[in-house]
Amino acid sequence: MSVLRPFRATDMFKFNNINLDIWTETYGISFYLTYLSRWPDLCCVQEAPNGHMMGYVIGKAEGHGQDWHGHVTALTVAPEYRRLSLARKMMSLLEMVSDETYKGFFVDLYVRCTNSVAISMYEGLGYSVYRRVREYYGSLGLGRASKDEEDAFDMRKPLSRDPHRRSVRANGREFVVSAHDVS
Amino acid sequence: MSTALDRQIRPIYDALDTQSNKSAVLACNKVLKKQPNNVLVKALKALALVRLQKVEESLLLADEVLAKKPTDDGVLTAMMHVLRGLGRHSDIVAMFETAYKQHPQNEDLGTQTFFANVRVGNWKAAQQVATKMHKQFQDDRYLYWSIFSAVLQANDMATPEALRPVLLKLALRLISSGNTPSYFNPDRFYVHLLILRELEMYDDAATLLNHEIGQKICETSLVCDEIRRDIMKLKGACKQEGEQAKVKILEKKDRNWLEFLSLLDATFWDIASTSEPASEDVKAAVTEEIAKTRKVFSEAATVDGLKDRSGLLALLELEKRTKSHGLWTDACEIRMMAENYFSQFGDKACCYEDLLPYLAFEGEELEQWTSFLNSRKSFDTPDTLQRSINVYKLLRYNLTSAELTPELELARAQEYIKVYLDGLKFGVNLPDTELQPADDFAILVGHAYVSLWKLTGEESHLQSAAATLEYASARSKQSYRIRLLLIRIYHLLGAPALALDHYRLMNVKQVQTDTLSHLILSRAAMWSLAPLGDITYMSECMEASQIYMSNSTETAEFIARAFSTERYSQIIDFIEFEDRLDNSLQRDLMKVEHVRMRVAHEPLNAELVDMELIELKFIFDRIHHDNRDFEVIPNYQPRCQPSFNEQTLPLKPPGAGWLSAYLKVYIRAFQEASDLDETLPLRERLVKKRQEEIDDLSEDEKLFYEYTLALSEWVGPYHDYVRPPPSALLAEAAKSNDLKPGHPLKSMAAAANGSATNGHSKKDEEPPAVKESPELIPKFFDDMKSRFDAVISGTALPSELLHIVATTQEAYLLFALETVRFKPNSIIKQYKFGQLAQSFKDLRVKASSILNEMSTVLAKLGEEVATPDGRKAFVQASSSIQDSSGFDHDFVLGVAKKTTDARKQTYEGIAKGLAKVVKNHS
Repeated sequence: MSVLRPFRATDMFKFNNINLDIWTETYGISFYLTYLSRWPDLCCVQEAPNGHMMGYVIGKAEGHGQDWHGHVTALTVAPEYRRLSLARKMMSLLEMVSDETYKGFFVDLYVRCTNSVAISMYEGLGYSVYRRVREYYGSLGLGRASKDEEDAFDMRKPLSRDPHRRSVRANGREFVVSAHDVS
Repeated sequence: MSTALDRQIRPIYDALDTQSNKSAVLACNKVLKKQPNNVLVKALKALALVRLQKVEESLLLADEVLAKKPTDDGVLTAMMHVLRGLGRHSDIVAMFETAYKQHPQNEDLGTQTFFANVRVGNWKAAQQVATKMHKQFQDDRYLYWSIFSAVLQANDMATPEALRPVLLKLALRLISSGNTPSYFNPDRFYVHLLILRELEMYDDAATLLNHEIGQKICETSLVCDEIRRDIMKLKGACKQEGEQAKVKILEKKDRNWLEFLSLLDATFWDIASTSEPASEDVKAAVTEEIAKTRKVFSEAATVDGLKDRSGLLALLELEKRTKSHGLWTDACEIRMMAENYFSQFGDKACCYEDLLPYLAFEGEELEQWTSFLNSRKSFDTPDTLQRSINVYKLLRYNLTSAELTPELELARAQEYIKVYLDGLKFGVNLPDTELQPADDFAILVGHAYVSLWKLTGEESHLQSAAATLEYASARSKQSYRIRLLLIRIYHLLGAPALALDHYRLMNVKQVQTDTLSHLILSRAAMWSLAPLGDITYMSECMEASQIYMSNSTETAEFIARAFSTERYSQIIDFIEFEDRLDNSLQRDLMKVEHVRMRVAHEPLNAELVDMELIELKFIFDRIHHDNRDFEVIPNYQPRCQPSFNEQTLPLKPPGAGWLSAYLKVYIRAFQEASDLDETLPLRERLVKKRQEEIDDLSEDEKLFYEYTLALSEWVGPYHDYVRPPPSALLAEAAKSNDLKPGHPLKSMAAAANGSATNGHSKKDEEPPAVKESPELIPKFFDDMKSRFDAVISGTALPSELLHIVATTQEAYLLFALETVRFKPNSIIKQYKFGQLAQSFKDLRVKASSILNEMSTVLAKLGEEVATPDGRKAFVQASSSIQDSSGFDHDFVLGVAKKTTDARKQTYEGIAKGLAKVVKNHS
């Protein structure tokens, strides 16, 4: 139970309970305004009845030709609102808009290889690993040096424009590229 | 461009791209030697110069380039950056307008002219440019630029009321003149709906919305759907909305809470939409509607089960509204629903806040609810732990004042500690990036101890809170909520350095500095050791203010960009965002804090006085927005008590009234101390007290405010008499300017030819008669001394003590500021101010001795607090947390040491600072 509404520039004054969490990065003003001035329909907020922000998603549309797709740049839910399927709802909106408004072939996202909770959630939503991207993320800076933490899985889910599922593959985890090869 | 020239110019661009501005200047000079009139190179040189902070040289070059009326793309782009760096935004507009006039066929120049107007918010001119472009280039996009500029002009506060509908009607007319209908894309459709809404043409809007394409757009565009809901509400089409919502909830399984609200609004529409008392018929009809709606929500709840909370919560809201409209049937309905809700969703962290609006139980209902909750405590699994956390929070929420005795609160604190420590077992194997599932129990401990402190006035409870929360913070390093509580408690305990540590660990950055820096910078001057040269808090102010610079350089660009991508739905929000940051209350509160600390840190010379005077005057008339986030601070106090935030504020948070009072205090003092001519006649407003200001001040600040008024009223006339006339100042400035290389500033040069004489000219009228100091001035220092003594002998907290000391010190500094002009013997002699000088001296001696006394007492207190005895007292004070649990004695001792050391450091630093201030200004 939550209000699904557009992400607004002024939400930057309200998102502390979400962004003070270690997993959510707070970017400069231009980051948010870049997304809002180009893909506002791929950015939305879940709000509690008392007006507190619960989570948000920020996405974009990119790529050429068969690679034209929706991309999830940031998806986050405040700790106190987890386990309520909020991520699922925001993803389904983003998929719907990527499909119907942008006519993309698929939706993709990046996730730390160590983040098994998120990976299984995305798998539950129909995403699969397309490739592994070496050293995509910076270290969390907590004194660990595991490769898995810095590597990302590029996960994809085909949309209605890709009925033959050409944008995904079965053994993506074994397909490794370096961070330079992806945009 | 010839290849030869290209070869010469490329290195300049390369240097600029790599920020090698010095070599860019050299490269420019090389070309200019051969081609002294190359406008592009001049523009590029101006850019390199402005980046090197060589403003005057850059200005001259920029003027030369502008005089050539450039139309070349490269020159214009370079000049746009130059002028932006120089803050000459209106010149950017003029430059592009001039260029566009010369080449009206050039679409790009038109676009740039439009954007230049957009960046400065000049909607009228923007609209005219866009209209011209639309006629010229026949592109609907320019038509919409013009339409939306008109809408923004209508929205602008500066536009006269009567003109607004005219502009909106113009915009509406323009929409119908387009080649394509507005539903060509969602953002154009949004513009159309927005105009119709502003013109209150709801039926026309509904026609658009009910059209097949309109419906389709609203399905995929949240922005359009949002304005659709708004219009339907304004139109009074609540019932229609309710019907649609019903379909969405039942058939499409839509769980957006807005749909549930639509159905709720529709259900009560016949009663809620009129102020008349409802007839029995209406009541009966609504009761029937309620039954139908209940069925819908129940069905949703059954279908969803544990998957979604909407149905059950909507049922609660339905019963609550039924009751509030006087249609109540069964008294226990809400409680039973709350119990049902808890049974299903009690293991979700948000259960507590979900239920809060429905829990105002009394009497028997409350008893039953309490006993229901008590039977749900269980700690077997992580899920039941979360459930128990909710139980404890919910029980606490409904405690009555009778149950809030020190004994009972202490027992609760000990129980919370016990369950917290037990609960830690569920998080033993979690990585250190994870939060501990039991964290909220520690937060409850903090709440109980703060409540105990409020009930008893005993500081020891705050120490217990600090010890427990530090323990919890060490176990859950990423919990910012625990840190928030600690920040507040450490301030109360006079250990600001520890509060600052926790704040920094929260990694507050970017726009968060606007909303959260209040946590450490509210009245930061009272913690600051600036007199000793410690600029920690001053730097925090500067760092936290970076975001306002980013806002002024970046945000306007995105408003232009949203026009270029035709994302009209974002523009009003971007403008609001820019305005709220630009005129942020916290921004100017930090400015005032910075000034207060600067005055204590630096010598009181003309440079400081003139600069701060100009800057403070600049912000004096701002209308502020309060963006500070207090909501983020957890609150689990009972509903009959103030919130944790309110309880732990050392003083009422400074608001717009506080800011206004302190701006007046400092502008007045700087104006008197300054030789600058008063360009804005502010004086009358500066001496006028407003109730809003007084209400915002602490008791000590009120005394201080009166003191500053009396001081400036007394000293003001002498300043006015002695202050050199503007002509003399200009002559002085021109003279010193001649000594510098480069050109003198025009205005100065002109004035230098005037009839000014040098320095302190003999005035015609007699100096104002010397008056005795107003009684209020010495009395202020006496009053503060007695306040200090009373607090020392009482049980007040360090924060209160430090506030008194800081206020007294500030009064002393303002006295120094107001009298520094009269220090030189030559002035005393020339104006026969001997008696005045004596009054100043007497007052200074009196104030100095009081400050010195405070300094001695504080230093002694500092010594006492950090001794083994002091620590022992702390540990003993925290005995309640040790008795109850496995808390290690050494751990509590460690926290005690940290806290007492930090307090000692503060006391000693401030004591030394006081002595230093006295010494510097005696």
